[in-house]
Amino acid sequence: MKEQSNNTTTILMVGNPNVGKSALFNRLTGANAVVSNYPGTTVDYTAGTLIEDHRTYEIIDVPGTYSLKPRDAAEMVAVRMLDEHRDATVLVVLDATKIERGLYLALEVFERGIPCIVALNMTDAAHDKQIAVDAAGLQRILGVPVIATTAISGEGVKHLADMIRKAQAADISAIRSRLNGQEQNRRSMAGCGGCSGCGGCR
Amino acid sequence: MQKKVSDLEYGESGIVREILASQHDLSCLGIRRNKHLKMITRQPIKGPVVVIVDEMEVAMGIEIAAQVVVEIA
Repeated sequence: MKEQSNNTTTILMVGNPNVGKSALFNRLTGANAVVSNYPGTTVDYTAGTLIEDHRTYEIIDVPGTYSLKPRDAAEMVAVRMLDEHRDATVLVVLDATKIERGLYLALEVFERGIPCIVALNMTDAAHDKQIAVDAAGLQRILGVPVIATTAISGEGVKHLADMIRKAQAADISAIRSRLNGQEQNRRSMAGCGGCSGCGGCR
Repeated sequence: MQKKVSDLEYGESGIVREILASQHDLSCLGIRRNKHLKMITRQPIKGPVVVIVDEMEVAMGIEIAAQVVVEIA
């Protein structure tokens, strides 16, 4: 996690278009970024500040992208942000109703070896569609914190803000091993007081 | 029987068997080999083809749709 000279950590919010990144950004920072119910609303980045537990985070709302191989201007901005903030922490935002598509991008981000945390957003919509997502199970497999959130109502946002400090780099080969049913000893998350979710606390 | 997505009838569905277009461009939208898809719209005058994959609507150009081969379910 990058600790800047003024003790501010940069957080990049990355995710597919229309997964609620801007709504979550507004919840975290108290900002007023434009939110709509169609993809492609954020075409440039927006920055805000979150102060949580005496730590200051500069949160950047990155335009939605389907992959890190850009195909349009907004996606190029997203990739450029990741390139320019190589020491930042990434908050990967997934739509709980379209989790598989979001995981494609999440794994591309993980491959960069950046500290990450995952927000499983739109859990209210998943509930309405009777889709159940095992956030704890996903956290065990990915080895990074996975927090269920509903940005519209604010559910889980406080917990997410509290967990940002526990973001850590994912290990792709370890994820593959876990998917094949092979458990590995995992490193404890930085500054972790014991959340019993990632498997690093044992 | 195998068909190109561009040749599917409205409401016809199948399992993706071959992607001759950029695998990456379609994979990041959720279309990969062995995924089930259903064609719901084919716009006229060489317009885009819209399919449903995992309850998500994905639109693709007719040229791309012609490079995706599905096994009819």
